Amino acid sequence: MLAEVTYRCPLHCPYCSNPTQFSCTTTELTRDEWKRVLDEAAELGALHVGFSGGEPLQRPDLADLVAASRAAGLYSNLITSAIGLSRTRAEELKKAGLDSVQISFQSDEEPLADTIAGTKSHASKLEAARLVHELDFPLTINIVLHRGNIAHVAQIVALAETLGAERLELANTQFYGWAFQNRAALLPTREQMEAATEIALAAKNRLLGKMEVLFVAPDYYGTRPKPCMNGWGNRHLTVNPVGDVLPCPTAGGIKSLRFDNIREKPLQWIWTESESFNRFRGTEWLPEPCHSCEFREIDFGGCRCQAELLTGNAATTDPACSLSPYREQLTRFVESIQGATEKSFEANTSSVAYRENPV
Amino acid sequence: MSSRARLQKDKVTGKPILLYPEGILILNPTAHAIATHCTGEATFEEIVTKLAAQYGASTEDLRTDVSTCLDRFRALNLLEVLT
Repeated sequence: MLAEVTYRCPLHCPYCSNPTQFSCTTTELTRDEWKRVLDEAAELGALHVGFSGGEPLQRPDLADLVAASRAAGLYSNLITSAIGLSRTRAEELKKAGLDSVQISFQSDEEPLADTIAGTKSHASKLEAARLVHELDFPLTINIVLHRGNIAHVAQIVALAETLGAERLELANTQFYGWAFQNRAALLPTREQMEAATEIALAAKNRLLGKMEVLFVAPDYYGTRPKPCMNGWGNRHLTVNPVGDVLPCPTAGGIKSLRFDNIREKPLQWIWTESESFNRFRGTEWLPEPCHSCEFREIDFGGCRCQAELLTGNAATTDPACSLSPYREQLTRFVESIQGATEKSFEANTSSVAYRENPV
Repeated sequence: MSSRARLQKDKVTGKPILLYPEGILILNPTAHAIATHCTGEATFEEIVTKLAAQYGASTEDLRTDVSTCLDRFRALNLLEVLT
């Protein structure tokens, strides 16, 4: 379960996958409402909870939610920018039973990192990462890669090693939310992507048994789509800040679906009975060419949100698949950015929309 | 067992599971028995001896099984070997 406890965030990363438009017409879930959801999720069979957002540390009651997860038997992970992770706060979370911490970085270099984040943040991230290591939390470093920082992969690996991370996620931007709006400025060129892949694979082999290196390739360059969420409504659920329950964090962008809210329905009902969780569950609903495809149980036709964004219809084959009738359109976009020279991110900031907080 | 791993019972299936960052290992009864003997005090030979007594098996037969299972835990960074 992913618990998106708030959409508020001190950073403004243009690659954010949060919704670009989110009006808080209803208020964020309260502490007691979250505790109930965590209990219900554990009863339903959830084993892991990720606290995310936005920036989860923006919630002063986060330690209470962590304690509630621990009591429910959930393994908890704090997915954070680390802004606000003071020693007091980190110790409080440790005491509450937090199991692991994932810190996002934007680059290995402070000026570039701060430019990408849209605010001064790199130095405090370094400090927080050292603190996390000192307090003996398993540490994952996550960095979202894009045209402006992908040339730094080798240095980023070195940074993660220095910080004592046990996992490093080199995750190419997933184009949803703000990132979709900024994709022409963010998608790496083929040449950049191939160079980064080579470095990442070498690092993965070199660090085997010391640090797990995960490289997520951009699916715009792939031929088979990603098996999104390992299948819709199969093993993942997201609860967003106002209590809507989603089969994936970005599913709120699918206009044809209505999502149920934990203020109105029990989580068990939403998971098993709701229309939104059943709409794309399994493989029976699949359109052609997926329905008769030999890969249908492997990728489930790819990502519903990407189908919606690129074709206007969430029930079509993900255009990241070479068999999609819409692939040509995506390929044209990919080719259109190949001319992009490796201009610095700093020189490009006028062409990106920085993430803003919901109003 | 490493402090990053947590051994508990799955509420839905009742099976023993190991939870760790971004992962879950569902343990069979043998792996569960081995995991519970990884207390940070027993040596490899002591673990084998205890399990042999527990299951009425020979230490010879068990040594390979235990070793394979521990290698699996180590590959996932779930075990700290103290020397």
